[in-house]
Amino acid sequence: MKEEILTDAVLREFLLGKLDDEEAARIESLFLTDSEAREKVLVIEQELIEDYIEDSLTTDDREKFLLRYGQTAAQLQQLRITKAIKDWALRESAREQTVPVELSSWSRLRARLRLKPVFVIPIAVTAMIAIVCVAVWLNGRMKRAAIEQELAQLNTPSNLREVPPQMISMELPPIAVRSLEPGKNFTKSADIQTVELRLPWIQKERYSTYQAEVRHVGGDESFTIPNLQPEKDGLSIIRLRLPAHILSRGQYQIRLSGIDSGGVAGTTAEYAFSVDG
Amino acid sequence: MARDSAIPPESFEEILAWLNPDRDVAAAMYVQLRHDLAKMFMWGRCGDPEGLTDEAFDRVAKKVRDVRPGYEGDPRLYFRAVANNLIKENHKKIKTQLSLEDVDLPEPQVTEREDETAADVEECLQRCLQTLGANKRELILAYYAKEKQAKIDHRNELAQKFGITVETLRVRVFRIRESLGECIGRCLKRKQK
Repeated sequence: MKEEILTDAVLREFLLGKLDDEEAARIESLFLTDSEAREKVLVIEQELIEDYIEDSLTTDDREKFLLRYGQTAAQLQQLRITKAIKDWALRESAREQTVPVELSSWSRLRARLRLKPVFVIPIAVTAMIAIVCVAVWLNGRMKRAAIEQELAQLNTPSNLREVPPQMISMELPPIAVRSLEPGKNFTKSADIQTVELRLPWIQKERYSTYQAEVRHVGGDESFTIPNLQPEKDGLSIIRLRLPAHILSRGQYQIRLSGIDSGGVAGTTAEYAFSVDG
Repeated sequence: MARDSAIPPESFEEILAWLNPDRDVAAAMYVQLRHDLAKMFMWGRCGDPEGLTDEAFDRVAKKVRDVRPGYEGDPRLYFRAVANNLIKENHKKIKTQLSLEDVDLPEPQVTEREDETAADVEECLQRCLQTLGANKRELILAYYAKEKQAKIDHRNELAQKFGITVETLRVRVFRIRESLGECIGRCLKRKQK
């Protein structure tokens, strides 16, 4: 029953003095005795004031409104207060909408995070760490690309025919044979720039090309050198040249794979050597 | 309308006891009733709602001892009846004054400072906004951010965002808005002193 009486439309009519005495008396009674009804009447009254300020009332309603709400100094003050609140909200809202256009992405992000250092500082630190990580990763990739290019260059058939200065050469037996022989060792020094490893291929299968994968034991980096060709001796020997600067102290393993005419890896053999100095 | 007498203490206590047996609850009801009667006088287009509210309480105070024992129902409805009589008397008085030829029209009821400027209101608004919590301030800002037709959709969206009905949102904003308005009113009063 109360809900039926207190619709928005009925309350607006009540507040503008459009209801008959009986209906108005019912609403007044509820207004005085029912806190929920009271609040609802005051909510609608506030919205009516808002509509007046927005100039959304009809001429007739506007006149009725002013007879009730625009007479005393206290009433006029209430209108001024409501207008000030609305003006402030519209101004702030408009400012918030224009700020993102004028500022940079970073500023917008800061604005979105309400400029709280508690958010900004960790984000800045995370961004810096990410930038450093990306830089290190890119640097690593560039170094690796340069080494792979240098390896490919060193091991082209034409370069393998030449003997550059400051190069040492050593033959590595396959691991199965090595167990009977002492491990090969290379001592780094400033006057050695290239290390040539001679890898005997003792498998029955013969291939036109081979591929070597060089891995530092205990490290996670490896280099692949494709298109290695065997020397045409009685015993096939595959020569692999490595720049001395990529070698660091420790054990190295080489996995040599024969590549058939279809480009598929076949039999493999493993070799090892160590680096000192 | 000036009051010529204050409510005698015993009548005041009688009114409080009539409103509610718990004196604290009764005191709160008394304050709200004064506010509500002033609203009724305003809706009744009476020029001096505060003065008429005083007059209504004076009249009840004079009769409370006799009326209270036999009265059934919410005592606030008795106050309403008294207020309605006062509204009718007020209208009759104005009509009589307007029908007399040589009558002096009453002075406008403006008693507060006329030079209250928009700048004063703005200054008080900013001060009072600072006393609101950030959440309340943001809610008020969001609620009043749009005008006319756009505000209806905007407020629906706002209610959805908070997971409440528009009715609840309206009441929530009304309460914040009311305390903000009271704060600004007090601030303006201090400025006038």
